[in-house]
Amino acid sequence: MNIIEEIIGDVLVEIINIDRATLNEADELKSALSIKMEEGYKNIIIDLSACDFIDSTFLGVLVNTLKKVAKVGGDLKLVGFRPAVRSMFELTRLFRVFDTYNELQAAIKSFQ
Amino acid sequence: MENSEIIDKILLVEDEANIVKLFEFNLKRAGYEVYSAMNGKEALEKVWEVKPELIISDIMMPEMDGFEFRREILKDEFLKTIPFVFLTAKGADEDILEGYDLDIQDYIIKTSSTKVVIAKVKAIVASYKKERDKVINEVQSAASNMIAAVVPTVAPYFEGYEIEHWHQTYQGIPGGDFIDYFELDEENMVVILGDVMGKKWGAYYFAIAYAGYIRSAVRFILQSSENFSPGEIIKKVNESVFRDERISEVYITLSVLLLKRDGTLKYSGAGDLPLFYKKEKVDFIKSDGILLGYFENSDYKDYELKLESGDEVYIMTDGIFEARNEEGVQLSVDGFTKIVENKNNENEMLDEIKKEFDVYTNKKYDDDISIIALKKT
Repeated sequence: MNIIEEIIGDVLVEIINIDRATLNEADELKSALSIKMEEGYKNIIIDLSACDFIDSTFLGVLVNTLKKVAKVGGDLKLVGFRPAVRSMFELTRLFRVFDTYNELQAAIKSFQ
Repeated sequence: MENSEIIDKILLVEDEANIVKLFEFNLKRAGYEVYSAMNGKEALEKVWEVKPELIISDIMMPEMDGFEFRREILKDEFLKTIPFVFLTAKGADEDILEGYDLDIQDYIIKTSSTKVVIAKVKAIVASYKKERDKVINEVQSAASNMIAAVVPTVAPYFEGYEIEHWHQTYQGIPGGDFIDYFELDEENMVVILGDVMGKKWGAYYFAIAYAGYIRSAVRFILQSSENFSPGEIIKKVNESVFRDERISEVYITLSVLLLKRDGTLKYSGAGDLPLFYKKEKVDFIKSDGILLGYFENSDYKDYELKLESGDEVYIMTDGIFEARNEEGVQLSVDGFTKIVENKNNENEMLDEIKKEFDVYTNKKYDDDISIIALKKT
């Protein structure tokens, strides 16, 4: 299982438990998020602490989800950047659109 | 089966260890790769990893039974396309009818002979693959007719410059990169490089749509202004994309260059990688525009360079920096800078870069790759 799901209060946490998050994980995350968003979850945290690399397909799912939850008053926050992932977010200027945290607890707290 | 390069995978969902052993033994002997799960819950965790050609599931299982597992599978657009077979102890009518209501392919009675089980499995997998291959062939054939819409075969001639590009598809399947050249008049040429977030077919179709949007935006600018600006072109594209529901879930990076015959180069970018330029040494410009389709009103700044004879400029998509060597180390901005720095200026611009890139990656690419090179003559 490459994605571990946890519910903390009304916050949905998806932990990406693989070093390279690409096409397969993008499909899996998209599917998991779509089910949970239909159930009404709109406050989402994606934990990328285990990822050394994410590709643009995976990044596309994050951006798309952020836009969707923002429309219904929710937010998607990111946790844990290893250097290559950080560099990808910096290169594509996506740091500007995501709220980012070093620790999961801080991200959860930010929703309370 | 033994001779085929790709082994078909079967996910077997069954809680009785003896049945698992028996089916595993027979299916493996018939040439299949078998993955097993003890119940529906465990199978849901494994199915994305395995992406099997067939799921064989028991009905009565602890935690999540076969019917509930099937209902979960049907919720997902991709997973529901995988053939699904129920395994049952006896041919109970109620089970069979409920199973067919859940859109399954067939039933296998646990006590069926090995020959019958293997024959059923082979027929279902073959039929699924035939249908899948047919769709892929049709799409591939349509794509080869349309490929020119996404990446031109050769770069155009524009007096005062040498222009080259290199485009490599991911695993032979078109992806999200697109390249376009647009000669505004004798003095001005627009060069466009885009990357739709995604891989393979989905991204490719959006790439065609984006190429269309960009052509429209360029025409609009051409008609409404005498002072051409790459940033204005990107702004117009972004507004169109944001408003269009059909592609509002797609995001794209874009680099736009405006070349003037006198050597003036204007550049603007949206979520794109840096523009590299080589004068005496290699340097780069990082645009600050956000990727297209995210904000309705975004501004895209123009950067200007004055190129002299021999100066070179490179723009590229992320497939270049993300390419890895055998040790898994990415080429990165620094690695690419070194390749450009060490390149012999007398040769064709992209020949050496391609060679160095192929040596670095051992020709194993993780994404589609596009790079455009220009030199002022």
